[in-house]
Amino acid sequence: MAEIIKCPVCGESNPANQEFCQHCQSRLQPGSGPLKGVDAPIKPGQIPTKKNTAELEPILPQWLRDARDSARNTEQQEGQQASQKPGQTQPASHTEDLLAGLRSQAADGDEDETPDWLASITGAAPKPKKSTSESSEVRWVELGDKADFAQEETAGDAETPSWLASLTPTGSQADEKDELTEWFRDADDSKPTEKAAETPAVDDIFSTSAADDTPDWLRRMAAEDDAKKAQPPSFDSSSNAFPPEASESPDWLRQIAADSPADELKDTPDWLRGMEDKNQSTDSAAFTGPASSEVEAFDPSSKDELPAWLNDQGESAAKPLQDTTPKWLKKEAEDSGTGELPAWLSGNEETIPLPAAQEEENLPAKDEDALAGLPDWLKAAAPQASIFEQPEEKTAAEAEPADASFDSPDWLNTFTTAETPAPEKETPFEVPPAFVEEAKGETTDELFTEMPDWLSNAMDLPASSSPTPITNTDAIAPGELPSWVQAMRPVDEPLPSLSSSFVSSDQTLESRGALAGLQGVLPAVPGYSPTSKPKPYSIRLQTSDEQLAHAELLEQILAAETAPVPIASFSTLRGSRGLRWFLFFMVFVVVIAALLLPAPIFSMPVGVPREVGGAVDVARAIPADGAVLVAVDYEASRVGEIEAAAAPFFDQMIFYSHPRLTFISTNETGAILAERFVSGPLAEHYKNSGFSYLNLGYLPGGQLGIHAFAQNPHIISPLDMSLQPAWASASLEGVSSLSQFAALVLITDNAESARVWIEQTESARGNIPFVVITSAQAAPMIQPYYDSQQVSGMVAGLYGGAVFEQNNAGRPGTARNYWDAYSLGMLLAMSLVLGGGLWNLALGLRDRASAREAK
Amino acid sequence: MTFSPDLIIGVISFIFTILIFSYLIGDNPLFRIAVYLFVGVSAGYVAAIAVWQVLIPRLGYPLWFGSLNEKIFAAVPLLGVLFIFMKASSRLSGVARMTMAFLVGAGAAVILAGAVIGTLIPQVEATINFFDLNAAASRNIGFMEAIGNGSIVLAGTIFSLVYFHFGASPKADGSMRRPKVIEIIAWVGRIFIGITLGAIFAGVYAAALTALIERISSLINFFKLFGNF
Amino acid sequence: MRVITAFIAITTGVLILGGYFFPALADVQTLLLNWAIILAGAAALVGIFNLISVHTDKIRRGEKGSTYSALLVIGLVATFTIGILLRPQHSAMQIVLSGIIIPAEAALMGVLTISLLYAAIRLLRRRTDMMGIVFLVTAALLFLGSATMRSGDIPLIGTLIRPWVSQILALGGARGILIGVALGTLTTGIRVLFGVDRPYGGQ
Repeated sequence: MAEIIKCPVCGESNPANQEFCQHCQSRLQPGSGPLKGVDAPIKPGQIPTKKNTAELEPILPQWLRDARDSARNTEQQEGQQASQKPGQTQPASHTEDLLAGLRSQAADGDEDETPDWLASITGAAPKPKKSTSESSEVRWVELGDKADFAQEETAGDAETPSWLASLTPTGSQADEKDELTEWFRDADDSKPTEKAAETPAVDDIFSTSAADDTPDWLRRMAAEDDAKKAQPPSFDSSSNAFPPEASESPDWLRQIAADSPADELKDTPDWLRGMEDKNQSTDSAAFTGPASSEVEAFDPSSKDELPAWLNDQGESAAKPLQDTTPKWLKKEAEDSGTGELPAWLSGNEETIPLPAAQEEENLPAKDEDALAGLPDWLKAAAPQASIFEQPEEKTAAEAEPADASFDSPDWLNTFTTAETPAPEKETPFEVPPAFVEEAKGETTDELFTEMPDWLSNAMDLPASSSPTPITNTDAIAPGELPSWVQAMRPVDEPLPSLSSSFVSSDQTLESRGALAGLQGVLPAVPGYSPTSKPKPYSIRLQTSDEQLAHAELLEQILAAETAPVPIASFSTLRGSRGLRWFLFFMVFVVVIAALLLPAPIFSMPVGVPREVGGAVDVARAIPADGAVLVAVDYEASRVGEIEAAAAPFFDQMIFYSHPRLTFISTNETGAILAERFVSGPLAEHYKNSGFSYLNLGYLPGGQLGIHAFAQNPHIISPLDMSLQPAWASASLEGVSSLSQFAALVLITDNAESARVWIEQTESARGNIPFVVITSAQAAPMIQPYYDSQQVSGMVAGLYGGAVFEQNNAGRPGTARNYWDAYSLGMLLAMSLVLGGGLWNLALGLRDRASAREAK
Repeated sequence: MTFSPDLIIGVISFIFTILIFSYLIGDNPLFRIAVYLFVGVSAGYVAAIAVWQVLIPRLGYPLWFGSLNEKIFAAVPLLGVLFIFMKASSRLSGVARMTMAFLVGAGAAVILAGAVIGTLIPQVEATINFFDLNAAASRNIGFMEAIGNGSIVLAGTIFSLVYFHFGASPKADGSMRRPKVIEIIAWVGRIFIGITLGAIFAGVYAAALTALIERISSLINFFKLFGNF
Repeated sequence: MRVITAFIAITTGVLILGGYFFPALADVQTLLLNWAIILAGAAALVGIFNLISVHTDKIRRGEKGSTYSALLVIGLVATFTIGILLRPQHSAMQIVLSGIIIPAEAALMGVLTISLLYAAIRLLRRRTDMMGIVFLVTAALLFLGSATMRSGDIPLIGTLIRPWVSQILALGGARGILIGVALGTLTTGIRVLFGVDRPYGGQ
């Protein structure tokens, strides 16, 4: 059973692997394959996914935003004109978009007697709706409320005509028959994006299962259709739907045909070709399907058989009509220039060579034959479309607003807007962009990008903007919108590309997918039975040579970015053990010799640098018995240098002022080094002159501790190194804050430590003198603080200690002991660095030159 | 012959100095022994300092002898200390993050304020004040000296700062380069930074030389002391 | 945990920073800093404990150099025990300091003299550019200017060029570096206070 597929057109059984019916050559499989997973179309009863795409509005293409703006403007203009004609029923074309009419429909549902899509087109006042409120209805459509969705689904099942049900193989799309109305109405708004969404709604009309609302004439048409199933389908989709006898057409339809030029009537593909020639949007061609479908759904057998509302419209058709062309057709024409041509209809002869394209010259004759079977009223549509080729004449003739001779029924007149009709040269048909996108193989993401926007836009529309009375069953099942959108997702399987010339002559009824129920939208060539699968047409990106070159360049750039780049490094310079030994020997010999010399050979430095002079001034200016805070923050490795630099300063300070010294250390060994300093270089003072001091010990925390101590020294360091209360001792008598010390002396070998002390005590130390005794290595980085007068004086290294010692009567003499070795070491270093540097500079230049030559 | 503390210190000091200097003839086990012992002793010394100078006076005393408020306030850092000791455990090391977060937050606030108050503002002001002729006169600095030196310091400061500007834009060939003006100024800034680093290098050498002199002097003194015995 | 740690860091930083500007928060700032001081001191113990664990593991596994590790652990434990028992300011600890720590560190610093000279001599062989030349010339000038003659400072070099280089020329670069460091510190502090950088973990 699974191996047999029943043809949806002729009802004959076919093998499952057949793509076309063996009997009627109709397509057995939809153009797009079944989707699975997340892409699978939504089935009835399945809750659609809400999609909030309002934020996507800014990324819409400019032409689409313009179209939306123009639609809004049109609505406003139409609203104004409608208010000027109070007696005239508001046509459906006033609606903003596809869903606009649903609002009034929700309030004025009339689902029992009049088909909603017809009611909305005619603008007849609908009967009061029974239960569903307007707001909830709109919300149901827009947001896909679950409960409402289920309700609509049930109603839709009851409303599907039997003949339509027979045309629907799956019967999956229920309750969408009124989307045709919405689609027509929306076509008036010149919104390609919305039309993309609406087009499948037309398909759904044929798949609806609702039967209760079907008027008799429709049922009769269904019966006739059933009777004709056995007949081979004609080339023209219109003729397929309607009896070829023009006599069966109502008068008003024949009148349409009478208004149309005969030559153009015979040349149905001309208007399509005209669009091809102008590279116009193929929307119009795609719209052929819906147009024919409309005719298909409309049985013109007898005026007597028309429902009452239609008879009324027929009577009102005697009223003067402003335009012979529905406004929605004109609007489509306006946008046709910006629309995109679907691949199957556009001038694809250039890019998609088909065998059928070679027969294009013979097609007009076929089309004439095909048009012979068209009802007159439908033939009238073709010349209107052909105005692409003769815009000037058509504009003059058809733009006549008071053409009372045109006796189209009011339900068709509703397509005509109340405003001034647009020129006839506008494209009467415009294909919803959904077809375009499918044909062009655009991604579904783009569809989703565009689709939900008009849904969201519909939410923003005021209720007054959608006065079209349609019934509750007109509501488009929102859950099905994503369904057909997803069903339209292009798949990688080849799609048959058809020339637009064959469109009108195709009779294939799409049974599944987004095009279900449409005929001739993806037709095979009439009379051409494919013996093999259609030529594969890849949806891969068509690129030019220039684009390929750019892409190649981009790939090269990316490859260069990711390619590992070898780190340019110097060639390994071999260590010179001989040089190392030479240096070791020279330095040790010089230092030992200088230390062993019985008498000094070098004079102590005479000149006093400014920073040393500042330290001398501070040492002499400290008041007698003043409290001096000494921060010890140097490592054991610099003991020799620091003690040589600090000893003369403290010697002079103690000699002049007899200060009370308080030591505090910010490194672990500092407290013990302070003890060593007192017991070493200052031992003479400590033993002989009654010198006393206090050691607060180690202050942890680095700059945290320094800042805290600077703010509240008595809180942060309440105990001395012996864990005795410190601030009650004689050394700290009368001192409770940092600014109450007579001076602050920092002994450090680290520029970072000096910076921290300077920064963290900046606000707390006030104007007390601040002397830094430091290593020579830290002096260059402390010099700016002396220059900024944040530091009062600085004694740096052995050189500073020697200078200070010179100004302290040569005491204690530590610097003097080291000075000869120091001077010799510095001279040795200068000579070695200069001599060796020049030698190595020459070698380096030679190496560079040789390396350059090697390259 | 009595073993005074000075003698013991002299002997140990001599041994360690020789062991360290042995590195000048190459890496050897004696040097390694001295270094490992030095590291272990230093760590033990620091640990003892941390206990005696931090935990006992700042945490133990308030908890043992403090008032109720002091005990309460000491309980918080006690908890933090316990947390930070959990860092030694790989399973509980996450708890120590809270203590580290506290330290980092406090440190960030302190260094931020200190950098602004203690360095940024004063150093900028000092660069400007170099052109204050009255202040220069009060420091016995002449007009030309003030203007000339001020200009050099100002140029050095700005150019050095520009050197650390690494904002670059991609060029046509894909390379990232700084703007041309920035490149030129940065090149001059490199000269100033080279001078500064040269001065620092001279200071480091002076410090190292002084340390070497002090060590050799101590060796000589030890020999003299040993010779006296 | 990430939120908690970030909250702790930011709150602490804001409160301490507020103490600079609002006197009402000065006491809070002092309290928090006092806590931080204790915690920072304790953190040093954690580092030492980690040192012990690393080297005891090496000893336990008998890795190469485990003998040196044993010496390290022995020296550490012995010093710590003596320090705990006798207090750091005891004469025994003075011997440790003056006999081991100071000589070792100073000798290492003395060895650095040879290494610095060696590096300076070979610098231009490896890096022959303007910055290297300026670097060495400056260093040589300061070497020469720091030395003296029998009669005193070396004329011109010691009395004029050396002070001018160290106090003027080097000052400009040093100030630029200091301001750059301060700006970097400012940025880092702000990033930590805003929770952008989380060096305490929990990124």
